[in-house]
Amino acid sequence: MKRALRIILTVTIILLVLGICIRKDNPDNDLTIDSSMVKPNPDAVMLDMNYPVPKTKTIDGVDYMESQLPVGKFGGEFVTSTIGEGPKTFNPFTSTDATSSAMSDVMYDGLFTTNPMTGEVAPKLAKSVEIKGNRYIIHLRKGIKWSDGVPITADDVMFTWKDIIFAGLGNTSVRDSMLIDGELPKIRKIDNYTIEFVIKKQFAPFLRMLSAPIAPKHYFSAKKDWQKNFDRFLATNTDPKTIVTSGAYRLKEYIPAQRVVFVKNPNYYYINKDGQKLPYIDKLIYLIVGDINNQILKFEANELDDISLKGSDVARYKAKEAKSNYVIYNLGADNGTMFIAINLNNRKNKETGKYYVNPVKQRWFQDVNFRKAIDYAIDRKSMVQNIANGMATPLYTAESPNGIFYNENIKGHDRDLNIAKSYLAKSGFVLKKGKLYDKYGNRVEIDLSTNAGNTEREALGVMVKQDLADIGIQVNFKPIEFNSLVNKITNSFDWDTIILGLTGSPVEPHNGKNVWNSNGPLHLFNQKSPNDMKNNNIYPWEKRIDEIFEKAALCLNFGDRKKYYYEYQQIVYDQAPIIYLYSPIRIYAIRRKIKNLYPSTLSGLTYNLEELYVEEGKK
Amino acid sequence: MKMWKFILKRIIQTIPLLVIVSLISFFIIRLSPVDPLAELRLNPSISQETLQKEKARLGLDKPIIVQYGLWAKSFVQGDLGVTSSGEKVSVKLAERIPNTLVLTLIVIFMTWMVGIPLGILGAIYNKSKLDRILTILSSVGMAIPSFFFAILLLIFAVKSGLFPVGGLTSYDFSDMYFGGKIIDISKHLVLPVTVLFTLSLAGLQRQMRANMLDVLDSDYIKFARAKGLSETKIIFKHALRNAINPMITLLGFEFAGLLSGAALTEYVFQYPGLGRLILEAVMKSDINLVMASLMIGSIMLVAGNLLADILLIITDPRVRS
Repeated sequence: MKRALRIILTVTIILLVLGICIRKDNPDNDLTIDSSMVKPNPDAVMLDMNYPVPKTKTIDGVDYMESQLPVGKFGGEFVTSTIGEGPKTFNPFTSTDATSSAMSDVMYDGLFTTNPMTGEVAPKLAKSVEIKGNRYIIHLRKGIKWSDGVPITADDVMFTWKDIIFAGLGNTSVRDSMLIDGELPKIRKIDNYTIEFVIKKQFAPFLRMLSAPIAPKHYFSAKKDWQKNFDRFLATNTDPKTIVTSGAYRLKEYIPAQRVVFVKNPNYYYINKDGQKLPYIDKLIYLIVGDINNQILKFEANELDDISLKGSDVARYKAKEAKSNYVIYNLGADNGTMFIAINLNNRKNKETGKYYVNPVKQRWFQDVNFRKAIDYAIDRKSMVQNIANGMATPLYTAESPNGIFYNENIKGHDRDLNIAKSYLAKSGFVLKKGKLYDKYGNRVEIDLSTNAGNTEREALGVMVKQDLADIGIQVNFKPIEFNSLVNKITNSFDWDTIILGLTGSPVEPHNGKNVWNSNGPLHLFNQKSPNDMKNNNIYPWEKRIDEIFEKAALCLNFGDRKKYYYEYQQIVYDQAPIIYLYSPIRIYAIRRKIKNLYPSTLSGLTYNLEELYVEEGKK
Repeated sequence: MKMWKFILKRIIQTIPLLVIVSLISFFIIRLSPVDPLAELRLNPSISQETLQKEKARLGLDKPIIVQYGLWAKSFVQGDLGVTSSGEKVSVKLAERIPNTLVLTLIVIFMTWMVGIPLGILGAIYNKSKLDRILTILSSVGMAIPSFFFAILLLIFAVKSGLFPVGGLTSYDFSDMYFGGKIIDISKHLVLPVTVLFTLSLAGLQRQMRANMLDVLDSDYIKFARAKGLSETKIIFKHALRNAINPMITLLGFEFAGLLSGAALTEYVFQYPGLGRLILEAVMKSDINLVMASLMIGSIMLVAGNLLADILLIITDPRVRS
């Protein structure tokens, strides 16, 4: 009896404790959140705020960059975060991961940057550029200095381009993309503040490529055999005090797995309208967090000033926004694209003598009607609603909607099973008792793969399977480990269809060359093995895309380039070797105290770091 | 002299063990389809040349057996190699080991200081109210999954604002005075220590109680009681010395867990320790880093056992013969 009493007592205590916990959460749960309340309208991208671009202003012979934004308050700090392991190097020329690149972007400016609103090339360390045919004459700012007080001159630019990038030190991506007909541009110093680049023939992406950071010569080449140790130079254990930078900030400390702290560069060349040196904010802190959940906890505990919100969190944050100390910005679709690639490979594996793709399936995949049928059978709208929680926009083109070359004439289409079925009928497919057979009587059954562990893509796979079941296609959906998937794509080519996502560049479609060039290393849908590179047995429309990429790179006129890139998007849409599904929308929450924000779909929320300031009001 | 011989023998015995452990782990990592370059391969802006260069730098272009040979050679020479991102493994480990040691040493110290006395109390006052309460508490402690408990505490930290959400130091740590630094670290340590402490305390208390009960039930204790010895003398002189032996073996295992035991908790609390580093390394198949940590783990385990054996020899005359 006593024992029973005791058990009852214990249970009640536990229930009471739980009850208190639940009740404390109730205010949030009570709010019935109508999803339409926060559903971002893909068209309503925040572009109406026009960012006044900084202008060059010369004072006492120094070519400053003058911010056109309201004058703010000096001091304070901005705490943001990066997910993962933190930077692996502070050397902008050896970094290959996003975090390291973000860190070196803060520390090193390039000659040019991108106008956050129009996507045009805008001057940064360079004051101006004259283009005379194939000659690019670049005028540098006079009188500006590195963080240690040494002037920034043409020697630094020469050193960066000639001795580091063109010499092939570090990550050679920039160098490789600058090869025009196998030749690198020629570079010449005219005087202390003028540099000339000569390229072999017109190359549209060239000027933008000069956005690569400029290295301080006196610091990078201080040691005798600096070339040999270049890969280890500016490693994360470098003494922060010694690092010389040109950007708005310089490194103060890096604590592994915890944070990176930057302090302002006293010699930065930005000034505000009152002639005071920027940046406003004294300290910039990147907390290194392990995963998204931890990031959210830290934001809610007020340890972070900004956060990129997951689809599932947006509704909750939006509901609390009015009473909170943060504002939510919708930056519209980002550079990411989610898609299904179809394997159009018709070659044999030279080593085994077998086709990479089963010949029966080849007939289906190489049939444009079959591909279009899939395109029409897929329900992008419910994918956006159910999988991306409304935080995405349906996508029908190879360029993401925020891109400056995005073909807005491609309107796309809703799901239409009748059109899908008519496409199939055109190629002799027959639907019997809900099962699809090709004209030779083979049951249509395809494999679909994606990387296991990516819940978003796994959910997409399940939806694709259901959608295609409605036109009688049996989909065997098998998520596999990411690395095995990459091996299939780049090496063994033994796959049917794959759900994948890639990030492109919104301002330079030419960067997608690795995917679209028929010899590209990421040509997904018709990947050639290294032995096949000379084999020119490709589809006519692939040939046309090759031509377009080549020609578009050669013309400098924006309108002409646009025509080319519009055509390529149209071809991809019509031929559907890759069926695009959606582009995620970026939603950010940032503390109200951060001022001078001019959100941009191209550059994000805090691209103008030096102009941001903290208004310390109520905490 | 006999003891030295024993130690030497044990150390020599470890060598084949380490070789086998390293072989198995090396081949499992390398034969798994994890490609350390996968992410680079799917990056449209990375060129083939860069990929080839990376491949050569990581030694992936050689056969596995050659890769193992190269690794083993430099390991024996005391060089742990570089991580996949080009940093020195020894530097990376040295950054994290002190952080993990701070956490695990505090936890071990606290659990032993609290767990052993509570175990003894539980045994002495067997079936009393105190014992029942201790039993309930330790059952609760053992029943809570550490992962879940850690997340609950994190949510508590967010809602209450009393503790920082994970990490080891605040971002303005380097500007603090000495006292402030200590307070800051302690604040960050409270939650992870609580999780680990609750967990290991329960186990330790149960173990100690069971050992003590066994001993208290034995004939020589009954004899000592019959002889009229004082209860304190019976417990501390006769019972405790016998009951503590199995605990010493346990201490050896605790030693092995010094560096790796807190991995899960470290991960949840974003604690900048060894566990988090290794977890991330395994995911990326960063072979040198994973191998170094596995080897450290096995060496620590062997060393812990050895330590326990030596301590046993000192405390228990029966083992010596």
